[in-house]
Amino acid sequence: MKIFKSIKWRLQIWYGLILVVVLAGFGFTAYQLERGRMFGRIDNELHRRFNVLAQALHRPPRGPEGNGQPFDRPSPGQFPEDGPPEQNPRPPLDFRLPTQAAGLFDTNDPNGFYFVIESRDGKEIARAGNVQSLAKGEEGLTAETVEANELPELKNPNPPQVITLGAYREVFDITPEGETVRAGCSIAPELKELRRTALNLTAVGSLVLLIGLAGGWWLVSRAIRPIENISAAAVKISAGDLSQRINVAEAESELGRLAAVLNSTFARLDAAFAQQKQFASDAAHELRTPVSVMLTQTQTALNRGRTAPEYRETVEACQRAAQRMRKLIGALLELARLDAGQEQMKRLRFDFSRTVADCVDLVKPLAKASGIKIFTELSPLEITGDAERLAQVATNLLTNAIQYNNPNGEVRVKVASHGGLATLTVSDTGNGISRDDLPHIFKRFYRCDKSRTGGNTGLGLAISKAIVEAHGGTIEVSSEEDDGTTFTVRLPG
Amino acid sequence: MRILIVEDEPDLLRSLAQALREEGYAVDTANNGEDGLFSAEGCDYDAIVLDVMLPKLDGWEILKRLRKTKKTPVLMLTARDQSRDRVRGLDTGADDYVVKPFDLSELFARLRAIIRRSANKTTNVIEIGDVKIDTAARNVSLREKPMELTAREYALVEFIALHRGEVVTRTQLYEHLFDENESSLSNLLDVHVSNVRKKLGAEFITTRRGHGYCIE
Repeated sequence: MKIFKSIKWRLQIWYGLILVVVLAGFGFTAYQLERGRMFGRIDNELHRRFNVLAQALHRPPRGPEGNGQPFDRPSPGQFPEDGPPEQNPRPPLDFRLPTQAAGLFDTNDPNGFYFVIESRDGKEIARAGNVQSLAKGEEGLTAETVEANELPELKNPNPPQVITLGAYREVFDITPEGETVRAGCSIAPELKELRRTALNLTAVGSLVLLIGLAGGWWLVSRAIRPIENISAAAVKISAGDLSQRINVAEAESELGRLAAVLNSTFARLDAAFAQQKQFASDAAHELRTPVSVMLTQTQTALNRGRTAPEYRETVEACQRAAQRMRKLIGALLELARLDAGQEQMKRLRFDFSRTVADCVDLVKPLAKASGIKIFTELSPLEITGDAERLAQVATNLLTNAIQYNNPNGEVRVKVASHGGLATLTVSDTGNGISRDDLPHIFKRFYRCDKSRTGGNTGLGLAISKAIVEAHGGTIEVSSEEDDGTTFTVRLPG
Repeated sequence: MRILIVEDEPDLLRSLAQALREEGYAVDTANNGEDGLFSAEGCDYDAIVLDVMLPKLDGWEILKRLRKTKKTPVLMLTARDQSRDRVRGLDTGADDYVVKPFDLSELFARLRAIIRRSANKTTNVIEIGDVKIDTAARNVSLREKPMELTAREYALVEFIALHRGEVVTRTQLYEHLFDENESSLSNLLDVHVSNVRKKLGAEFITTRRGHGYCIE
């Protein structure tokens, strides 16, 4: 069932069940207390009357043991059970209701107090009021049954028994001789009152339950609303709208914190997607220019007959464009692999300073062509990593330092150990990087001069950064305009 | 027709210039934004082919600054084909754009279109008396008979025809028919005019002495 899968409904159902149990318990207790109070009052009245009856009950003395006290219980054995009372005839009870007690029983009110005293053989000795006939036998209670059932108890000096017979409550006792004394009254008004109390309690309970359920629904809805917001935003995001954010109303609540965490995740996803999109678009853009060159060159050449040197020029231009595309495609593939984490870095011990020294040798002809001097300060330093990849980083930094240097400038290369980290610094004496460009130079295809001349892919520093970070290291740049640029690579030993 | 190409990729710039010259345009070139803007502001080009990504000043900036003084038709060359970029280009004042990589024939057609529009012409064919000039095919016919004109002669006819009813000065003609690399011999223009008159009739181009030339 769908309803039981909804947290809102499950909470509501549990809440409702608990409320019902609490209310029922409360109502039942209140009802019982009321009932006890009412019956207690009636029982008091009955006992008072019963006591009057008991005191009025006189038995003519029969022998020395007859003390004339009512309900005095003989010692066991004095009246053998097998001995029928008729064989041991005793004088019949003499009963006179004291005149001052007559007002205690209502002869006219059918619901008033009554009493009856019956002999063992069911003969009525005395009565007053609207006596309930036991023969009606709601409880099947007769003197015999009571005797048979209750006799062992009656042997003890028990207080008189109180029973409820339908709408009547009675106090009764049986004398040792078998006379039954009953005093009772109708409890119909009380029962009616109790029913009303029960109805009232049920009504109030139901009302409280309804209010409680409504309040609960409101609370649960309020508590659930942020979740619904989160879910709605998540649905939109999964549909591709990454710009969606969850509206966080209460930043400090548990759900508010969750929403904030989700929002920051969405923002990172969004940024990553945007970056990827930008990268793809930039890559396409970079490839368009060499393709344009080739198309324009070939179409121009084919427009009319050309001389051999003209064709040669066209082919050369096409070759340059193709070389540039090859370089670009290589760099793009490399970046894509680094991004995907497919490019596994070797983990070998090697002398980093030797590697850097080799790179310096490699770029020396380039430096010489621009009249640039390279100064090295390489202390032997063993590190773990991919020598080939790190050589690529060093070469890239050195090439940049030469290319963006002033003619007859200087490049300083240093390998040293600082606080357990291997540090490579490459400084040039070029024009430096402007403050506006500095934060962007590790971005893909970012070029400070916005031109495509010089045959750079615009990916060199981005690739260097990716390689260094794959080694768990960092790459930083500091630059002062007109005062040169310094790149610092830090690698864990 | 004189055209300025601003493009930083040297191979592209060279072949574009060559192709356009072979089409009969006078072509000036600039390989960075600053030079491009300087040339564009200094001369009345019939059209400018402007790359977006340029060193020093990018295409948007050149366009923005140029539009303060000139209404020269501008064809943007863009490597970005997102509509955002195209809209931006058109809104900044570009007359059309071509997305790289492009076909030369498309570039030529768009170039002709923006030049035609700037001269308030809606079709490629201009008819003047018996002379019919097809600016798309770049040929001229007299009484339905195709006439052989050199590229320079055609450019002269086209330019004066596009400014039909106006007096075109010799300076204007020099500016629009010869690029900055050509030494403008003062009688070269007279030679071209005389050749055109031989081919299309002496009355086709009238001389306004002391002012210039005119097609009635």
